[in-house]
Amino acid sequence: MSYLAGGLAGTMLRVDLTQGQASRVPTPRNLFEDYIGARGVGAAMLFRELEAGVDPLGADNKLIFLTGPLEGTLAPGANKIVVTFRSPLTGTYSFSLCGGHLAPELKFAGYDGIVVEGKSEHPVYLWVDNDQVTLCDASHLWGRLTHDTEDELRAEIGDPDIRVACIGPAGEKLVRFACIQADYHREFGRGGAGAVMGDKNLKAIVIRGTGHVDVADPPALGQVAEDVYAQLAQHPKARARRQYGTPEMVEGVNKLGFWATRNFTTGYFEKADRLTGTRLKEELYMGDNSCYACTVACGKISPVSKGPFAGTAIEGAEFETIGLLGANCGVADPAAIVAATAICDSYGFDTMSAGVAVSCAMEAYEQGIISLSDTGGIDLRFGDGDALVAIMQQIADREGLGDLLAEGVVRAAQQLGVPHMAMHVKGQELATYEPRGVVGMGLSYAISPKGGHHMIAPTMGLEVAGDPDNRLRAEGKAEMVRDTQLIMAVVDSLALCSSMRFVLGPQSMLELYRAVTGRHLDEEQAYLIAERITNVERLFNVREGFGRQEDTLPERLLSEPMPTGPSVGSTVPLDTMLEEYYALMGWDADGVPTQERLQELGLEAE
Amino acid sequence: MTHKVLVVHPQKCTGCRICEQWCSWSHHTVVNPAKSRIAIHRLHHRYVNVPVACSQCTKAPCIEVCPEGSISRDPETFGLILDQETCIGCRLCLESCPRGCIKVDADEGMPLLCDLCGGDPQCVKHCPEDAILYLEPDKVDRGYREFHTCQGLGGEGRRRNELLGGWTGWYYAAS
Repeated sequence: MSYLAGGLAGTMLRVDLTQGQASRVPTPRNLFEDYIGARGVGAAMLFRELEAGVDPLGADNKLIFLTGPLEGTLAPGANKIVVTFRSPLTGTYSFSLCGGHLAPELKFAGYDGIVVEGKSEHPVYLWVDNDQVTLCDASHLWGRLTHDTEDELRAEIGDPDIRVACIGPAGEKLVRFACIQADYHREFGRGGAGAVMGDKNLKAIVIRGTGHVDVADPPALGQVAEDVYAQLAQHPKARARRQYGTPEMVEGVNKLGFWATRNFTTGYFEKADRLTGTRLKEELYMGDNSCYACTVACGKISPVSKGPFAGTAIEGAEFETIGLLGANCGVADPAAIVAATAICDSYGFDTMSAGVAVSCAMEAYEQGIISLSDTGGIDLRFGDGDALVAIMQQIADREGLGDLLAEGVVRAAQQLGVPHMAMHVKGQELATYEPRGVVGMGLSYAISPKGGHHMIAPTMGLEVAGDPDNRLRAEGKAEMVRDTQLIMAVVDSLALCSSMRFVLGPQSMLELYRAVTGRHLDEEQAYLIAERITNVERLFNVREGFGRQEDTLPERLLSEPMPTGPSVGSTVPLDTMLEEYYALMGWDADGVPTQERLQELGLEAE
Repeated sequence: MTHKVLVVHPQKCTGCRICEQWCSWSHHTVVNPAKSRIAIHRLHHRYVNVPVACSQCTKAPCIEVCPEGSISRDPETFGLILDQETCIGCRLCLESCPRGCIKVDADEGMPLLCDLCGGDPQCVKHCPEDAILYLEPDKVDRGYREFHTCQGLGGEGRRRNELLGGWTGWYYAAS
């Protein structure tokens, strides 16, 4: 008997695109017990269902969409849906979380997740109308931009309140960092899930749900939800994000010298004052859009009113986007960043990976390794907003240099003969925290199972709390990374927005979980599950041949001292932190989980 | 006329749908937007979220059109009361509502009418943005006046209208 008395819809969809069939199957409740939900269950399913060595861009790869137990209930900030897949960018296990209104809609339709497998011969979209599930021809949508696709599907189905996740031309053209777009400006952003979907000829997933999910203890849930909503209204971090969105972080990160600038050649952007949250609120923001059940409303509506990009509007740009398309490309013009982001959103590719690919090309251009004839006439200098937008369009169209950059920074840099300029881990382009200025993030990037990503163990806040100089020291960072990684595994598996973790301590999260599912988990048990998730992710990558050698950083960050800014002189002392981290995790010197640890986690059979 | 009414401000609404959560929760102890008396309708292309809620019409078409006389008012709050015994589920009330805010409870086959939660509307109580307010009739205009002079077409809204379209006429913007 299951000891999850609520929170699950109880049914999942399994969609075989090769056969053109969709079937309803029982939710694997045991996996939701052992791995909580969303990210955790996805990791376990992908590990079990994928053979070693499948081609990420082939029929054997899968897209496993999963919600968590809290979605579609009263739980605040429970709006994430995760997709798990083998990444065409890295070859590793990967997952990506999308906010907006998709996840609760899927639960309301009666499903905990959708497993997409095989490959359709022609473009199709999946129409999930409560218990009616159909694969529909999508030939007329192929080639259309993401917003157009959403609009067209809403018009075609005749219901403006349906939820749509779709790919744009970038996914269709297999841009390796293509994303899946939803609600116009929410996305499954990282790792190239959009390319996998494009390869499968699946243009969109459309959902209408009019039911509900039962919860175990309604009175308790009502009370906890009231409490958490009240805390959210008061919490300083939540309030800052409500005002300024995620760019509230620009000032602090730059001031402490860990904002990746001009392709990670330094960690301090001298024009950052043009991109701070307060400045953007004054000059750009015109309103706020929220994901489901969230008071933070960090989606800032940003229309451009003047200049060459007038008429462009997005929701964003997020902190990471402003960092990687802005500072990291040396661009301080918000209008150009909005225009570049608008191309990413409407063609459907990751702003972060795109920013790092472009910054690599900019560095190569400035050093004379590539020229105007390579760039198709674009004067691809750091700081040139017009050039940024122009090269972004080339990526979107897969034309000229853009076609090469669309392969991701590792492949592009290799081709251009500048592998040392590729700022990545395992082929995943780095996030905007310059690890020389915040060394724990260096370890985070290095050990991240999906390659250089910041949200696996976002330690930056902890590293500067109290004594900001602590950010440059290696001591204690392995433990900090390990602990943060475990908390995030819980947050992502409950499928709460990561912004919630500031407000909801582990205790509140587990209270929500108990009220919804009826199952009491104490912190220790939750972290044990988190460790199980982390190890299964690791096992997937070990099976694909990844080991200590790949748990590294670009040489620049390891051996070239930070040249300017408040973190001047610093490098990332990775080896010491890495060894300590492996020991804490119970992994051997090559980063492989020991049998002993796997047994403790109940993973010996895996 | 002293009863209070619900007043919505689309320009303040972020589309978080917390109101929908608590409406269905307080009436049915489930979270289900399809059973919420209030709905948030997002116009994606205009970057606008429109709360669609009962406005407690002075001459309520839903009451007038009901062939069975099944809809009445709570004498204290003016909230709508449905007589489930006599309601035939014809949906004329739904068709007649000028705001389009009435839904049908799929399990019961009966309309979902706003009862103002007995004078403590949960949507208002839980809205983090004050995008829906519960006001005396002589105060319902205040927020709009401020909006139209400071932010609307007299102010910041002109810029928004030029850039994104449709700052006025929320309920027609979709067409």
